[in-house]
Amino acid sequence: MLQEILSALVAVATLQNLLIMVAGIWGGVIVGAIPGMTGTMAVTLALPFTFYMDPVPSILLLVALYKGSTYGGSVSAILIKTPGTASAACTALDGYPLAQQGKAGKALNMALYSSVTGDFISNLSLIFFAAPLAVLALRIGPPEFFMLMLFALTTVAGVSGSSLLMGLVSAALGLLLATVGEDMYGSFRFAFTPDMQAGLSIAPVLIGLFALPELIKLVVMRATKQEEAATLGAQHVTRAEFMGSLKTILKGSVIGSVLGAIPGIGPSSAAFFSYGEAQRSSKKGANFGKGELEGIAASESANNGACGATMIPLLALGVPGDVITGVMLGAFMIQGLTPGPLLFQTNIHEVYMLLIGMLVSSVLLFFAGKITMRMFAKVSHIPQTLLTPLVLLLCVFGIYSIASSPFDVAVLLVMGVVGFIMFLLNIPAAPFLIAFILGPMLEENLRRALAISRGEPAVLLSSPITWVFAALIAFVLFITVRREVQKFKTERRVEQ
Amino acid sequence: MPKPVLRGLIIVAFFALTAFILVPAYVPRPAFIPGFAPPPDMWPRTVSLAGIVLGMLALLLALFRPQADEAPLETDGSSRARMAGRFAGLMLAFVLFLVAIPVLGFLVSMMLLTLCIVLMTGERGHRIWIALIAFGAPILLQLFFHSALGTQFPKGALTKPFGF
Repeated sequence: MLQEILSALVAVATLQNLLIMVAGIWGGVIVGAIPGMTGTMAVTLALPFTFYMDPVPSILLLVALYKGSTYGGSVSAILIKTPGTASAACTALDGYPLAQQGKAGKALNMALYSSVTGDFISNLSLIFFAAPLAVLALRIGPPEFFMLMLFALTTVAGVSGSSLLMGLVSAALGLLLATVGEDMYGSFRFAFTPDMQAGLSIAPVLIGLFALPELIKLVVMRATKQEEAATLGAQHVTRAEFMGSLKTILKGSVIGSVLGAIPGIGPSSAAFFSYGEAQRSSKKGANFGKGELEGIAASESANNGACGATMIPLLALGVPGDVITGVMLGAFMIQGLTPGPLLFQTNIHEVYMLLIGMLVSSVLLFFAGKITMRMFAKVSHIPQTLLTPLVLLLCVFGIYSIASSPFDVAVLLVMGVVGFIMFLLNIPAAPFLIAFILGPMLEENLRRALAISRGEPAVLLSSPITWVFAALIAFVLFITVRREVQKFKTERRVEQ
Repeated sequence: MPKPVLRGLIIVAFFALTAFILVPAYVPRPAFIPGFAPPPDMWPRTVSLAGIVLGMLALLLALFRPQADEAPLETDGSSRARMAGRFAGLMLAFVLFLVAIPVLGFLVSMMLLTLCIVLMTGERGHRIWIALIAFGAPILLQLFFHSALGTQFPKGALTKPFGF
């Protein structure tokens, strides 16, 4: 085994492979940081180029793009409150307030350190725990999946905004929007126009909901604060700040690694879950959403922590964990490799090369992040009145280029208006988004569970795993309601 | 009307509209559903009914549990009518942009929308930057997406002879 590992190490450590990984990470960070361009887009666009490459470098390129874009999403989330990727939505909650306080550099550095740590731990989990975690994921059936996602949704609803009730309303809106289009038995739901028969894509909904309300606010209210984020040079994260967030980073990395290993969960849910857990358990929980470094650490360590872990079901079972690993599955096939248990027997050299390459890419992510951070920091010096229309341009071009669909552009604009109305009504956007992403899986697993149990709803509490999730849901609801009651009592006391 | 009450009413009205009008009209049930599988309208109806309950709860809490005033929105001090006018103008700009794409093409429509948005933000200084963002940036982005990614942007009926 050691011989195999050394041989793979030598094979990976070539100038060509290092350059490919650097290019992938660099490109991924840039793409992830541009609103409207997603990691999926970057990986998909790079796929044709891998035709002309050897198997391992081609997969390493795609993995590097994936990791880079996941981190890159935090750059625009922090600087302009526009998460480049869905998984960076939580990062914007604390990153943008920090940027407004002139601490953008601190926020970006914390995002980078957390991302790199999460990524490294995730890669280690891929190397050491692939098989056991894959076995665990295999044992999760539709009822357990449903309860798991319901738990994630309840947590998000509980931690977003100022009220659990509004969080749940927001989640219900997202679940409802996710039903638009063809259902699992071929019925078209809410298909008011032919374009809606295919459902609504995630990208225009995400970008519209998070990026455009800022533009609409600027036009309608014109409350332009000309406070620009400070330069990044003197904004390093201190040792005390990093150590203070270390527990959260490690916890987020583990959450990302575990949830990322479960097919269908992915970095976005991991980030939301980790953020909620950090807010619940941290002494600074009350500061979350107002510019707390620990919030960024929780979100970023989990979303990058999920990146490596999404490769676990892909490599061990041949099951892609999310859209991006689905594209990677295609890349494996193109190269004549079939992911699954047999891959570890027939192509062990390539597997080791890939695992070592992923560890190396974690280190490269650190350096690429540092350099790119300074480049993108210039964004914060542009006046809002010029930057925001530029964001609109990038969003519209980016969204149109994904599917060449004017309908997607219309969805983008409509969702911007929806986001603005939600802002006016104090309804948080994060539960809406996560419900929209999880909605189809949530419904599919519920319907499957009911179909398997011959319509018996008790199937949702039929196994120890579902009991655990039900207990966790009850716990989260109890904690959140108690927090709100205490807040209400304090407010009344102050009034009296 | 206090904002929390209005919010509760809007939530109840929206989910009631979905549950009792949109779901029956726009979620068709197939003639045959295999086995014990729930019908397609089960999930949207369940979510809508849950939404009504949540909205009612929000309404009741707003009426019977007075809360501290919500933080006022940050504005430039304009009247509500003026801000409503700006919102209506922005909606009109979005609609005109979508309508203009088949006529003027993606590029020109995008230039006009961007210029319109910049001016609607109240920006009047930085004239060179405004011109660069409104006219230069769309050209650069279209060139990038067209040449690097092969995206075909729609040409307009009026601008087709000019190639865009």
